[in-house]
Amino acid sequence: MLKWMKTGSVKGAGLLLAIAFLLALGGCSSTQKAADSENVQGAGQTESGNTKTITHEMGETEIEGTPKKVVALELSFVDSLNALGIEAAGIADDEKKEMIAKLVGKETDYTSVGTREQPNLEVISSLQPDLIIADAERHKNVYEDLQKIAPTIVLKSRESTYQENLGAFNTIAQAVGKEEEAKTRLAEHEKTIEETKAKLKADPNVTILPAVVRDTSFQAHTSSSYDGELLEHLGFKNAIQQEEPYAEMNLEQLVEIDPDILLLANNDGKLITDEWKNNPLWKNLKAVKNGQVYDVDRDLWTRFRGVVSAEAIGANMLEMLGENK
Amino acid sequence: MRITEQTTLNKKRRPLVLLFILTLLLLLLSAVSLGVGAVYISPLDIITDLMGTGASSHAFIIQEYRLPRLYIAMIAGAGLATAGAVLQGILRNPLASPDVIGVTKGAGLAAVIVIVLFPDSPVFWLPVSAFLGAAAAAAALMLFAHKNGVKPATLALIGIALGAIFQAGIEYFMIKFPDDVNSTLLWLAGSLWGRGWEQVWMLLPSVPFAIALWLLSAKLDILNLGDDLAIGLGQKTKQLRYVLLTLSVIIIGMCVAAIGSIGFIGLIAPHVARKLTGSRHKFLLPVSALIGALFLLAADSLGRGLFPPIEIPAGIVTAVIGAPYFLYLLRREGKKA
Repeated sequence: MLKWMKTGSVKGAGLLLAIAFLLALGGCSSTQKAADSENVQGAGQTESGNTKTITHEMGETEIEGTPKKVVALELSFVDSLNALGIEAAGIADDEKKEMIAKLVGKETDYTSVGTREQPNLEVISSLQPDLIIADAERHKNVYEDLQKIAPTIVLKSRESTYQENLGAFNTIAQAVGKEEEAKTRLAEHEKTIEETKAKLKADPNVTILPAVVRDTSFQAHTSSSYDGELLEHLGFKNAIQQEEPYAEMNLEQLVEIDPDILLLANNDGKLITDEWKNNPLWKNLKAVKNGQVYDVDRDLWTRFRGVVSAEAIGANMLEMLGENK
Repeated sequence: MRITEQTTLNKKRRPLVLLFILTLLLLLLSAVSLGVGAVYISPLDIITDLMGTGASSHAFIIQEYRLPRLYIAMIAGAGLATAGAVLQGILRNPLASPDVIGVTKGAGLAAVIVIVLFPDSPVFWLPVSAFLGAAAAAAALMLFAHKNGVKPATLALIGIALGAIFQAGIEYFMIKFPDDVNSTLLWLAGSLWGRGWEQVWMLLPSVPFAIALWLLSAKLDILNLGDDLAIGLGQKTKQLRYVLLTLSVIIIGMCVAAIGSIGFIGLIAPHVARKLTGSRHKFLLPVSALIGALFLLAADSLGRGLFPPIEIPAGIVTAVIGAPYFLYLLRREGKKA
């Protein structure tokens, strides 16, 4: 035991040296780090003196002046900024430029900061934004990191309901100093939704069920989901009234609920409904028999979520179901 | 499946030289890694940033992201590789790894439960639950193996069984909650994205445990001779296995808590190390550690640099490189036998 320890310690000296070197490197870097963050803060404070405090899902964030360069890490934030007439400087677009063009309604000039799931912090920091808007679920683990880059507000997007989404819209408007515009825009939004509702004139006895269809699952969106709630505002009764926003179901369960209208947001590729379509149970669904099954765009219906997109969903409904006079 | 001393002793290289070369390689790769990513940083900028003179515009990226990730990759890579080498020694099975004894799966199940069922939980719940999951898996493993005197084969079999149970649990949650599959898979694959100094401090306490394992390497050598001989030489094999297992699990738990249940490092690094230096643990462990650090650092740099701004999780890169390399190793070993 003693013998090997002797030779071992000589030969292990190299390793220990290496560790010592690394620790030394770490030591000098952390002091450097402190100096850096001071620098960053110092730069921010030289701007105008008007500071506002925004309360959001993860606390309070102070924002100085009016942010010009905004980074949006979820699609609904892009929609909100768009509704306020602001073009985001950086978007977590999952590298799908065409999806953003569809959301904003035109090609815009922005920098992709990677995926929504793992936005690239290096790119975000190199953009030197004035404001970052992050999702409460996806980005809570990097909130501190984002806060070091720029003032960050965290809002519900992915798990938000329609009402929460409108709340987030107001918070974003506050953060970018456009409360007045937001008020007008929201009033306009309510009017548009009311008008669409009047045109659709849904029968109160008719039930509707939006669902996301994947290769192995059929996920119904209930009255508490974003699109379910929006449809209720448009006058449609959801076939599943419950607190949980989503419900996984199989064909038998679907038959039991038997909605009058089915809205299917299909995934790319193979779908579980491909198989169901050959099943007599499927053919007996009211919606199928009456030709009330509609394929809808998954981006618009379940991913975008925002003031503009909600109006687009309303328009989409009018297009599919037609005006009811 | 016993690791035979003969074949490996013949081609033993000078361990000191080997350690020196590997350290040099690691430093070289570190320098490259600091430059690689969505934003390219030139070597000159890196040096001035590290010295703290004339902070360039990239100083923030280096200090906040690349440097901590460099350290995390080194410590976690080295930790997982060391623990893997020790597990292969305890189980006297070259296929042993943190995955095989069910520990990473236990951590995975705990993490998945937090991600899926408690999405609003505070940030620190995830690493804590992962560590506790790993600890619980290890406790179950030792409890079930205790009756049979903690024999290597028993440990391996029970570990695999526990792993299968945890895996079933993970899959249940993934099927039940398809919306969270992305974030779950991401964590399960293991990634250094979004990790910073906090995780470096979280990982540092694992270093003394790795050194403790290294100090026990003579005992590991004796265990490798087989239980009969080891007992004959006065070793309390059961107790020794408990100590070694506990130390390894603590290291694995910390690594997994920090970066997710990253695979293949604990399996491959010790293999490569054994090829290079033979199976005497006092050399095998440090060489494994260096190779593990190199492996994870290379994986993270590649994942960051291949398709910016999209990052490929380091765990996926280790699997993509690791799996074919492992097959190749097995084939070569089979040929020699």
